[in-house]
Amino acid sequence: MTERFHYPTDREKLSAARAKALEKLLIEKGVITEMTVDKVLGFFETRMGPFNGAKLVARAWVDPAFKARLAKDTPAAIAELDFPDGMAGAEGEHMRAAINEPGVHNLIICTLCSCYPWPVLGLPPYWYKDPSFRSRAAREPRKVLAEFGLDLPSTTEIKVWDSSAQIRWFVVPERPAGTDHLTEEQLAALVTPEAMMGVAVANAA
Amino acid sequence: MKLQHYLGGLEGLGPVEFERRVFVEPWETRIFGIHVAMMGLSNHISTLPQTPSTFKSEWTWADLRKGAESLNPFDYFKFRYYEKWLGGISGFFVDNGYITPEELARETDAILKGSATSAAGGDPTIDDRIEEYLVVGDSPKQPVAVTHRFAVGDSVVVRNVPAAEHTRLPGFLRDKVGVIETVYDGAYAYFCTTGDGIGPAMAVYCVRFDPKDIWGEMAEPGFSVHADLFDAYLESPLAAAA
Repeated sequence: MTERFHYPTDREKLSAARAKALEKLLIEKGVITEMTVDKVLGFFETRMGPFNGAKLVARAWVDPAFKARLAKDTPAAIAELDFPDGMAGAEGEHMRAAINEPGVHNLIICTLCSCYPWPVLGLPPYWYKDPSFRSRAAREPRKVLAEFGLDLPSTTEIKVWDSSAQIRWFVVPERPAGTDHLTEEQLAALVTPEAMMGVAVANAA
Repeated sequence: MKLQHYLGGLEGLGPVEFERRVFVEPWETRIFGIHVAMMGLSNHISTLPQTPSTFKSEWTWADLRKGAESLNPFDYFKFRYYEKWLGGISGFFVDNGYITPEELARETDAILKGSATSAAGGDPTIDDRIEEYLVVGDSPKQPVAVTHRFAVGDSVVVRNVPAAEHTRLPGFLRDKVGVIETVYDGAYAYFCTTGDGIGPAMAVYCVRFDPKDIWGEMAEPGFSVHADLFDAYLESPLAAAA
């Protein structure tokens, strides 16, 4: 039993070797190509990532009618904008935007695994996959958010959304005060993945 | 009954880890890429073109999740997120005859000793298909008619379905009463038949819960919990009481 709690001293080196060995064997045996893994990673560096979500939120901020359409039918609203192909692709087939407004703060979790809206946010950060976040956010979200540095007034309702089926949720944070003079591009720069999953608000200007 | 199905609400796991990176070690990117490739090449997707890939198996999120859910719960916490992927995926390739344990051990050893060679080549249509998979996705929505048993505003009770190998029912919601928030349009399948009711195409609902009904009177105030739940996981309060 106690063996279970030991890590090998070269834990990462062993994992790295095993992963590399697996990849090599899969290439050798014709499962994948020498380019496969790099191409997949490139897709998330250049096409599907938080830059898409930031652009979407900035548009929602400057165009209230668009924001309303985004809430009502998220995929249709996204399709209105100029994004790379694949916004309704893998882990984005059925996305849904939860809109923050005065008195309402949304928080997205996946208590069963790590479901995340790939086309608008790319791949999930470790905090989202952390068992402590997954377990506690369902029970004490206000306390968890405070640990993230987000202290919400007791009058704010926190809506927690557990991604347990086909929907991939994300949050449209509130537009920060004092940003009326900013361009859409400048507004997008204020939007973080943390704000789009509900553990933060957008950055100040 | 698996701990992994009951993570929501579990106490005592300490402060949240504030790591913002997706990958904390370079090797993690490789197993991520392999998982995506497997999903893109999976034999269950007939709408993507055939390729010369020797991957002839079905591999979906359900397979990855089942691997993690089948771990000893101590190991589930011991191993980091992508460590679990590495174990599950390399085990899959061994169990399904793509590689032998000896090959994997030999190759791993060679890399550790610095004497490994690298592999090259492969048909580009394999990578074209994987990219197409990423672009078009793999929606579970099925073109079948569905009868919605519930409407927005209806009270529902979450069924305490038999425990199964895999589930999409967060354990903390079993037997709890909620209210239908959204009736999703259409019918949705799940990647596999889990044995606890989901698999074939059915309605899905967003259900809202009052934390007091889940965690008791001492629940943190000022929040609501919502979960997207398959029809098979829900029952009307009258039927549940019968």
